[in-house]
Order: sequence, then structure tokens, then C-alpha cells
Amino acid sequence: MKTVDAKYFDGRSARQQAVTLSIAHGLLEVHGNGLLRKLPLSGIRISAKLGSAPRLLHFADSGHCEVNNHADFEALLLEAGIKPQSLLSRLEHSWRHALVATLLAIVCVIAAFYWGLPWIANIAAARIPASAVLAIDTHFLKAVDASLMQPSKLSAARQSEISNEFNALQNTDGIPLHHLAFRSSKKIGANAFALPGGTIIVTDQLIALADNDEEILAVLTHELGHVSERHPLRQLLQSSVVGLAMTWYLGDISSLLAAAPTLLLETGYSRNFERRADHYAATMLRMNGIPPARLADILEKLETSHSANKKSKEQSSRIAQLFSTHPDTGQRILELRSEGAE
Amino acid sequence: MQTQEHRFSFSGTGSEYFRIWIVNLVLSILTLGIYSAWAKVRRMQYFYRNTRLNESSFDYHGKAIAILKGRLIAVTLFASYYIFIKVMPLLGLAIGLLIASVMPYLLVISFRFRLYNSSYRGLRFGFAGSIKSAYVTFLALPIATLFTLYLLAPFTHQRIKAYQHNNSRFGQSAFSFNAGAGGFYAIYIFAFLQFIVIASLLAFGAFSMFKGHTANASRETMVLLFVLAVYALLIVASLLIVPYFISRIQNLVWNHTELGKHRFESSLSARGLAWIIFSNFILIVMTIGLFKPFADIRMARYRIEHMALIPAGNIDEFIASEQQQVSAAGTETAEIFDLDIGF
Repeated sequence: MKTVDAKYFDGRSARQQAVTLSIAHGLLEVHGNGLLRKLPLSGIRISAKLGSAPRLLHFADSGHCEVNNHADFEALLLEAGIKPQSLLSRLEHSWRHALVATLLAIVCVIAAFYWGLPWIANIAAARIPASAVLAIDTHFLKAVDASLMQPSKLSAARQSEISNEFNALQNTDGIPLHHLAFRSSKKIGANAFALPGGTIIVTDQLIALADNDEEILAVLTHELGHVSERHPLRQLLQSSVVGLAMTWYLGDISSLLAAAPTLLLETGYSRNFERRADHYAATMLRMNGIPPARLADILEKLETSHSANKKSKEQSSRIAQLFSTHPDTGQRILELRSEGAE
Repeated sequence: MQTQEHRFSFSGTGSEYFRIWIVNLVLSILTLGIYSAWAKVRRMQYFYRNTRLNESSFDYHGKAIAILKGRLIAVTLFASYYIFIKVMPLLGLAIGLLIASVMPYLLVISFRFRLYNSSYRGLRFGFAGSIKSAYVTFLALPIATLFTLYLLAPFTHQRIKAYQHNNSRFGQSAFSFNAGAGGFYAIYIFAFLQFIVIASLLAFGAFSMFKGHTANASRETMVLLFVLAVYALLIVASLLIVPYFISRIQNLVWNHTELGKHRFESSLSARGLAWIIFSNFILIVMTIGLFKPFADIRMARYRIEHMALIPAGNIDEFIASEQQQVSAAGTETAEIFDLDIGF
């Protein structure tokens, strides 16, 4: 009969006792100096194998045994007709499974990042009440008006002229709820951007940069494309989740270092969103008799104006490129021009 | 009677733990995080069962369902705070205040859960801290610390450790804690001085390096350099000061903790810890995170194997608490849920 050495604890004191275990007729025999217990196997919880950590046998009366000799113990279980290892233990043991699991984990993380997260953010964005989303815009404007932006220096007449031209544009699916906001900003320069609640901010510098109003309208329809597909809100949700995940994963190292990779990863979303907004703008512009190439024209000017501002140091612009949310403008310009030619 | 010290030992290995970790990670991902509670039980059991004192191992008894409940509560609370603070700052702030006001209670629950579910030689640990003192220790004192510009921070830290250790027990034997606030102040002040020295050395270095070039550099470049310098400072500081701080605090706390008449000894060195933190960090970055389980094992081994129990008698003489008999019948409140709040 097979036996295995173990340590026995009675659950009432910290005393440990050397014992030998054996199994006969469905009973576990715990045999030690002045100790003989026979316990029905059905009342014993045998811990699943966990690496080479000791295996524990918990008895119904709170006593337990600790076994360190894995080979002998597994032989004992096998002889008694008990499976020595659970499925999980076997999965955890083999290197082949570990390799498969590693690949699977990497695939899952990539899939979650490229498809899962955007999909969930899209669903969630549709469910956030409009009042809450509008509150973000108010909050954001309050924050940037204090530091980054000044009131627009355009005349009220010019502002309403642009607004009227923009509001006169038609689109097949109708126009999403939006609101134009004119601002001046030396720091940001020529730019336009959409906020989650549908506020489209356009700077005086951008209006000055445009050679004609069609170019301004082209940029505004591009931003309207962002609003229409809720890109700002989705981007906000996605980057929040990525940020949370990074902080959780790298948390032990430093929550600060977690910020840098998040910035790098976020640009991936922006690229896709930019293309979708370009497409939206091109369709809408064509409907209103404006060639989509107008958007390409102003994009080109924006590109040169921004790189002129950054003429300073090569090293800084190279780093800035990494963090840029409009990376492949050249590619986008080409696509817009070809779309106009169709 | 003075017996020889018993060193804690750790027998987990990185290669073994990696296989357990990755399989459980994939199961957690495939079940959208639900399995992570079971994975945590597995992880805790691996670390506990591989920790030995006087040839016997520790064990972890937490139930995955309780951990899952705790995680759902924690995720709901923190995710709603995190989202609302961006979307609706006022509501976010209200949720933040709510979290702060229930935090001491949640901490007590999680201490109870963790200790009650830990055992050594078949005897359970336990935690008997009152909710009232938890509110003093984890809410009133931190607020006071904020208002005294962190001058109270070392004192608060001492009160937290005293609350935790004075209210813990093993079987029927109580832990006790006898470190005063003075030791904590010494560590905090020395860590702060180190930070000042490192910051001024870096500032001086950066200044002398760019002295000749500042004239023709644009403002943007200067800002970028400043940001990089702050990052460098934080990384250097966290590699030098954090290991110092962690090791000295662990040593102070455990060298002043007793279990009945038995004492503990902790002898972590800042240098040893710095090397582990630094090399773990580099290797985790280089392996896109796959080194994490190896890193966890190295850190656990270092911290565990620098601990010892100095017995003042026979350690066989500990006996189970009455509560343990009761809880075997399943009436322990600590089983309701667990929260992953660590200290």
C-alpha cells in the first residue's frame, strides 16, 4: 500500500505533527505518533495542485494536512481512483499552454484596443444624456477661456455671415445639433475643433488663413462630421478607459509613466476619426456644390502654418510629431483631392 | 527561554508563476474580467502557500464570490467617479466625497476579510479594529494632515500602522505595535532631504549643460526640456527614494511589532530593493509587461526572506480563537465581500 509523508494540524493549536497518509476502502488514514484518524474521502477537500506549492487536505472538523511530496501524493490519489490534477492545474503546468495563452492574451489586448473599446465607447456615447454632454462643453470652454483663448476679434456681422453660410448647408441625413463658437488664440493658432456637446470652436487665425469662405465651410463640415459621429465624446471615453487600464497595469511602477504611452496610443483613434470626418465633409460639401478639394486646400495651409510656427528646433518638432493627433495630413490631402476628382 | 530566530522563506519561482499567471490572465480576459476573482484566489494561494515559517506554510481561504462582489462595488464606485469628474464635474465631486466617506468602513471590511482568510498551521488570523477608530485614522487624520501641509503625515502613517497591527491577532494571540511617531518622522525627513539634494543636483546639471544654448532656444523647446527634466527627476527620485522609504518603513514597522511575546525582525536594505525595482522596471518595459509575474516573485521573495520571527517560547502553543470555531459554521461577517485596497 502506498503511503506519503505529511504534516498534520488539528486546527485548534499551532502544533504540527509528522504523519503518513494512506488510502484504503474510501478512507484516508492519518497515521502518526499516538495518532490514528480514519476519514471518509468524501468529507475531505483536497486543494488543486498549484505549481510546487504544498497541497492541503482540509478535513470537515477544521484539521488539515500539508503535503510537500507531490509525486508520491499524486501516485496515492491515482491508486485510490482520484484524479491527481485538475484541468486548471494541468493548463497552468505546461509551457505549451503558457505560450498559447501568451499569444492569446496579446491578441485579446490588441483586439480589445482596436475593436472592443471603440465599439463599447460608441454604444456608451449614444446613451449619455445630452444635458451631461453639454455640461462638458460648458466646463471645457470655461477652462480654456481663462487661459488659452480670448474672445474673437471678428465683427458681429462677419461672425453671423459665416454662421448663416454654414447653416444654409444641406445634408442627406440632416444636420446634427451644433453650435458655432468664435475665439481668438495666439497660442493655438489657426485651428478648429469639436467638443462632445456639439460646440464647434473656430479661431480667428483660421478664418484669416482661409482664402475664401468655402475653405472655412470645408473645415466646419469636417468638424460637423466629428459631431455627427460623436467622435469627441467617444475619444474622451476611450482615452479614459485606456488611461485607467494603463494606470492599473503600470500602477506598481509609477502612475506618471502611465501617461506617456496613453498619449501615444490615443493618436491611433484620432487618425481613424479624422478620415471619417473627412469623408463626411467631402460628401456634404459635394451636395452643396463645394468641391471637397477646398478642405484639402485649407489642410495644406494649416500644415504649413503649423510647421512655420514650429520652425524653432528640429528635435522638438520630431517629438511633437509623435504626439500629434493629425499625423498623416499629406495622405488625407491626397485622398480628398482624389475624392473630388471622382 | 530564548530560542533561535525563525526566518521566513519563499519557494515560489518566476517560471512556475508565469505559467499560472498567464493562464489565469487569459481566462480572466475571455470571461470579461469575471474570472479575475478566481485568478486572485489562485495568486494569493500561490504566494501564501509558498511562504514558509519553521517549515510550515501559510494559506489563503478567500472565496472568489466575495472578491467578485467587492470588485463590482469598487469598480462601480471608482469608474463612476472617474467618468463623472470629466463629464459632470459636480456630480463627480459628490461621488468622490461619497467614496471618501465610506472608505474607512470599506478598509475595515477588507482588513477583516484578508486577515480572517489567512492562516498558518491551521489557525486563522483576525482583525478586530472598530469602525469608529477607522474613521479617525483613515478620514479625520488624513484631512488634518492636508490642513497642516503634510506636517502630520508621518504621525498619520504611524497611527494607521498602529491601528492595523494593534487590532490584528493570530488565533487567540494579539499582535501589538510599539513604534512611536518619532521613527516615522525621521524617515520622512530624511527622504525629503534626499529629494531636495537630487532635485538641486539635477537642476544644477541641467543649468550648466544648457547655459550656452538658452539664448537661441525657442520657448517651446524650453518648456519641453523642463517637462523632460521633471520626468527625469521623478524617475530618479522614485528609483532612489522610494526603495529607501519602503525598506525603512517596513523595517521600522515590523521591528516594533510583537505577537504575544514573540518579536519580528525585518532587515530590508534600500540598495537591494532599489536594484529589484530598477531591474524589474526595465525588464517589464522591454517585455511589454510579460516580465510582470517574474517581477512579482522577485519582490515577494526579497521582502519575505528579509523577515524573521524571534520566538520567546514554543510557537506550537498558539491556540485557535473562539471566533474561528464560530466562523467554521459560516457566520463570519468578513465573508460578505472583499475590496482590493492595499496598504
